[in-house]
Amino acid sequence: MRNPKLEPLRKNEILKKVVKRCNALVGSKKAAKCSRCGYINGMVKKGPLKIQHDRAKIVDTYLDECQSALSHTKDFRGNVNFSSTLDPKSVYRLLRNMLDEDCELLYLNDRPEKLLVTNILVPPNAIRPSVFVDGGTQSNENDTTERLKRIIQLNAHLRGDMLDPNLYSKSLTSWDDLQVEVAQYINSDVRGVPLHMTAARPLSGFVQRLKGKQGRFRGNLSGKRVEYTGRTVISPDPNLKIAEVAIPILMARILTYPERVSYHNIEKLRQCVRNGPNKYPGAKFIRHPDGTEISLMFSSRKRHADELKYGYIVDRHLENGDIVLFNRQPSLHRMSIMCHRARIMPWRTLRFNESVCNPYNADFDGDEMNMHVPQTEEARTEALMLMGVQNNLCTPKNGEILVASTQDFLTSSFLITRKDTFYDRSAFSLMCSYMGDAMDPIDLPTPALIKPVELWTGKQLFSVLLRPYAKMKVYVNLTVAEKSYCKSKETMCPKDGFVYIRNSELISGQLGKATLGNGNKDGLYSILLRDYKAHAASACMNRLAKLSARWIGNHGFSIGINDVQPGGALNKEKKVLIDKEYGQCTNYIESYKSGSLELLPGCDRAETLEAKISGTLNNIRERTANVCMINLNWRNSPLIMSQCGSKGSPINICQMIACVGQQIVGGRRAPNGFIDRTLPHFDRGAKDPDAKGFVQNSFYTGLSATEFFFHTMGGREGLVDTAVKTADTGYMSRRLMKALEDLAVYYDNTVRNASGCIVQFTYGGDGMDPAQMEEKSGLPLNFERLFMKAKATCPSIEQRSLTVEEIKKIVDEIIEEKLTRCNTTPERRYSKAFASSSDTPSNEESSNAFGESLKKFIKKKYPSSSLMAKLNEGEHSGEDRDALEKVTSNVCGISKQQLMVFLETCISRYHSKKIEAGTAIGAIGAQSIGEPGTQMTLKTFHFAGVASMNVTLGVPRIKEIINAAKRINTPIITAVLECNNNDIIAKIVKGRIESTLLEQVAKSIKTSQASRSASIVITLDMKRIQGAQLSVDAYTVKESILQTPKMKLKEQQVKVLNPRKLVVVLQADRSKLHFELHGLKSKLCKVVVKGINSVERVIIVNRANDPSQNKELELVVEGTGLLSVMGIEGVDGCKTTSNHVMEVQQTLGIEAARMTIIAEIQFTMSKHGMNIDIRHMMLLADLMTFKGEVLGITRHGVQKMKDSVLMLASFEKTADHLFNASVNGRVDKIEGVSECIIMGIPMQIGTGMLKIRQSVQPVELPYGSDPIIC
Amino acid sequence: MVETLFEDIFRVDAVDPDGKKFDRVSRIAARSEQFDMLMHLDINTEIYPMRVGEKFMMVLASTLNLDGTPDSGYYTPGNRKSLADKFDYVMQGKLYRISEETREKQVKADIYVSFGGLLMMLKGDPSIAARFELDQKLFILIRKV
Repeated sequence: MRNPKLEPLRKNEILKKVVKRCNALVGSKKAAKCSRCGYINGMVKKGPLKIQHDRAKIVDTYLDECQSALSHTKDFRGNVNFSSTLDPKSVYRLLRNMLDEDCELLYLNDRPEKLLVTNILVPPNAIRPSVFVDGGTQSNENDTTERLKRIIQLNAHLRGDMLDPNLYSKSLTSWDDLQVEVAQYINSDVRGVPLHMTAARPLSGFVQRLKGKQGRFRGNLSGKRVEYTGRTVISPDPNLKIAEVAIPILMARILTYPERVSYHNIEKLRQCVRNGPNKYPGAKFIRHPDGTEISLMFSSRKRHADELKYGYIVDRHLENGDIVLFNRQPSLHRMSIMCHRARIMPWRTLRFNESVCNPYNADFDGDEMNMHVPQTEEARTEALMLMGVQNNLCTPKNGEILVASTQDFLTSSFLITRKDTFYDRSAFSLMCSYMGDAMDPIDLPTPALIKPVELWTGKQLFSVLLRPYAKMKVYVNLTVAEKSYCKSKETMCPKDGFVYIRNSELISGQLGKATLGNGNKDGLYSILLRDYKAHAASACMNRLAKLSARWIGNHGFSIGINDVQPGGALNKEKKVLIDKEYGQCTNYIESYKSGSLELLPGCDRAETLEAKISGTLNNIRERTANVCMINLNWRNSPLIMSQCGSKGSPINICQMIACVGQQIVGGRRAPNGFIDRTLPHFDRGAKDPDAKGFVQNSFYTGLSATEFFFHTMGGREGLVDTAVKTADTGYMSRRLMKALEDLAVYYDNTVRNASGCIVQFTYGGDGMDPAQMEEKSGLPLNFERLFMKAKATCPSIEQRSLTVEEIKKIVDEIIEEKLTRCNTTPERRYSKAFASSSDTPSNEESSNAFGESLKKFIKKKYPSSSLMAKLNEGEHSGEDRDALEKVTSNVCGISKQQLMVFLETCISRYHSKKIEAGTAIGAIGAQSIGEPGTQMTLKTFHFAGVASMNVTLGVPRIKEIINAAKRINTPIITAVLECNNNDIIAKIVKGRIESTLLEQVAKSIKTSQASRSASIVITLDMKRIQGAQLSVDAYTVKESILQTPKMKLKEQQVKVLNPRKLVVVLQADRSKLHFELHGLKSKLCKVVVKGINSVERVIIVNRANDPSQNKELELVVEGTGLLSVMGIEGVDGCKTTSNHVMEVQQTLGIEAARMTIIAEIQFTMSKHGMNIDIRHMMLLADLMTFKGEVLGITRHGVQKMKDSVLMLASFEKTADHLFNASVNGRVDKIEGVSECIIMGIPMQIGTGMLKIRQSVQPVELPYGSDPIIC
Repeated sequence: MVETLFEDIFRVDAVDPDGKKFDRVSRIAARSEQFDMLMHLDINTEIYPMRVGEKFMMVLASTLNLDGTPDSGYYTPGNRKSLADKFDYVMQGKLYRISEETREKQVKADIYVSFGGLLMMLKGDPSIAARFELDQKLFILIRKV
């Protein structure tokens, strides 16, 4: 305990052990004797506000003494309960007598008697202010004052009682009352307050002031109210740049920025001062260097303006170009608060470019947003560099672009780039002028159609947008498959769905969301951002926003009733389809009723029916949706919107036009609200589509009464779902953030927490920044694209293409030179110089891996052409040969320059993608996992392939994983078979795993009763056993009966008659015999004859994609018991996994648990279509496992991860942590993020990680005149 | 006289072989008589209608200047004499891809040109493809015969 290096956590464990030992000592029969005075202690129990001392079991003279004393009183009843309460006075005496050594052992920092309140601290008035009402005539006192008043009253009362000898017993009760009052002074929620003392409105105690969301810790210390803020309704303005925000003049007149007067701004500020606080652009205050502040509200402004000197500070109104922070709640990720440049505008709303809606998740249906004005130049710079919109175009969640064109911008781009849009000279030049502010030059391209008329195409307009003038050095190269791409023919796709941009020229493809929208890594803006940095991307977004807004304003785009009117063909087709599928459903229902329905694996009859009907009904909607999409005119507005991805999906269109479809409640068809039916409109037990919530009508035709009712059921579920989800995910995000907040990358590439404890040796295993990953799966670079770009931007004119050998040589050389050498520069040299072994293997390893992947890629790109082959084999004349060579080099050759450019961009870019030291990667990770949670639905989905087998998904599943729950909802073990292509073997193994009860394999279990003895005869159903491939006979059944606990049968009692028959003989009293016999029978029925107890069921799944291929059978085991499943013969234990993190930890260890956490989070996220960089999950998993056990992100787990009391107090259980900390004498070093915020000091993360230590040379003051020439 | 890159007479085999997708633009599939080339070409049928069975002469050139001076890259409209005078339908575009295709030991080279989004695919003997360069500016000139 004295060890200063021992962690508080260990100390607490020791304390717990000590206390346990002491308790055991008292609890044992042996009396615990005091080693000093010999007094025998009894059991001490904590009662409500009291401490009970129970000495009833102790045999000594005390009892007799009491009895003899009591026997003289009148109401002596012989037996009295002698447990006495220890009053504070005696406790105080006891504690004072404690030895110092014992205190140490109990992890007490100070003398224990100090834990008792002997004097009450009265806080000053500032802590408990009086509120005056009615102009000061009356005052409302603070709760604390009120409580103090009561304490004083009670104290006076007690004193009076004590002075009066007759009132001794009464004084005891008033002593108790005083005790209760004082307890409530500290914590008004204290338990055990007697009924008569509970007030109607409880006064708040000190604990109440501290704890909770509005309490001191979370309400005032971790988050503070600030000045220089604004909040109002937002609205869109496509004419603003994406990094701008329009601020109403009204707001700009209130918000100020203190600007220091200098040579450059003195005239501007003089004008501001003259204008004063009410006229924009004005100023509110002037501050002199000596600290005096002059308000410009009343004093003579003209004079102050004239007297303005350099070094004064003027609190001027906000002006164009000022830096403001812009934020929308809920601030789920760091892009929810970004830095914009102000632009002062008339009217009353905050406005910004719609492209920035996405990061804020804002729309303009009445949303409000907040704005903050940083007040120092330093804060402004930091805000602009770190939080600027331009620097946050892509999300660190997975590196996808977040600020991108939305909605109308997509629609208009889609329409402009249609293949049959042509513009004449005037229209084309007008549109060219739309996209800028008339400040940039624009080079008009040659028209695509020269004769018979000059016509430009929309695609040419887009090429102009990408690269308006020839001097602009932006060469975009990309290929994207849009939604409408028909999966073949690449650029020649008849629907024009393949976007190809070559050297900033739109070659083909109709642009839509995949190219221009967010959430894509190969889209236009992503590529601009990666290749030509943020400025190029944002400039392009600005141009597009202006062009689209102006163009679509002229073109017009609206939706009307005729857009949702179904045509005759559609109606006919829909009717035919519905009739057919309804017939199918009726067939299913009939076969269900007659019992001839073929069961699906792992389902009973009802489930099979449901699955089949759901499948059919879903089919109806899908097919009508298809019919819809085909039959609609291309000018149909909903169709355009859904095709370009700006809003809506084919299903939405289908619901409006053709058929709303099946309504789902709780993952099933509408449930029965009445007896055996959904609504009284239907027959009992009706299972047909109409009776179970299928809506045939469309929103256009209108829903029938029952359909409408079912539709509201589905709608209600959705609403409830969102309401529940927000609270759940909010709490989850908060916990994640608290647990991960202090993790940062340090300069040695390790990830550590605030106290310097290493969580990861290299961030994410390779030290890459997830925000800058270019490849879809999270790899740093998309080689394919870079290769294409290198080939397109460096034309191989006059250069011959390289041979395979030459390529190999160059690649090896460059990788060796650039990657390996670069990598070993600072660290390696350092370590070599000092001959130390502290190498940086991880860094080198990841670089090497990168080099390997690069080589592999190049190998794929070796020129391999059939023409080349032809060239080599055949005899050709010289000219012919030259021609062929030229073609091959055009088809697939690589010139030396191209190769060099490619390799160099790859390598240099790889190096620039390393994560920066100081990055608060923990906070980013927490946000990256927490934010997608809000978008998930609570639903659990069907398991792929197997109907009826559900896996928990969505927020509940993420919660389970993060909490490291001991019991999870759907534990599933995936067992790989050693022999996976044989049905019979799979069935055998299945039988071994699945728990089979005796009643399932027995033909009969009969009881026979004789006069003295009784017996149960069990006959096994061998046919069934063989059918299920179980190796069970009477002998094994006997074994299992004997092994079952609580059977109380001896070996002699179970007799095997023959392999299929056995007898259990029972001997007992005649009176009990009958009952015991039946008890035994029911017990015997439930005996597990084969398999694992904890397994619910086992399903065989065929993983092969193609049924004709070889089978790849796998067992999916529902239940726990990984260890036993792995041990089953026929199961490949090395490949068997479970989704239960805690079980994996127990069976396979902590590293396996880590992998499971990563895999499970990824699985859950991917099921909801969310893509999160694996590095975040790795970090979370590492944090949960780095202590050697799986710690949940709950208050218990966090408590074990963090040392800081302040941090824990600001998390949960504020009072408990503070009380314990004071008892234990804890010290907080103020290292973590929470602590620093509470203390109001910069934290050791990010830019605060460094401290500059500079040995400043003493300034030598030159005396005499300055030399003219140096 | 101008050195053209390719000249042949084509016969329209089909209009919109994959179904009509656009109002004003149709994709024609045509086959040449001389070199047996297959061509897919998007044509603005609103201003220059094409029907199945029609024959037309197609010329690919890198410049419209009659003296053969290379195209400057800048568009200078005016009433100067040019190659286009003899043709009805002229488009300007860029060659963006040359690829090859092997079918039954026959190697064919494909040339892809985009005329501001109106695409052309020319499939034929590799020797023809040798005259073209990637990223070459091309003019397509069409005259019905």
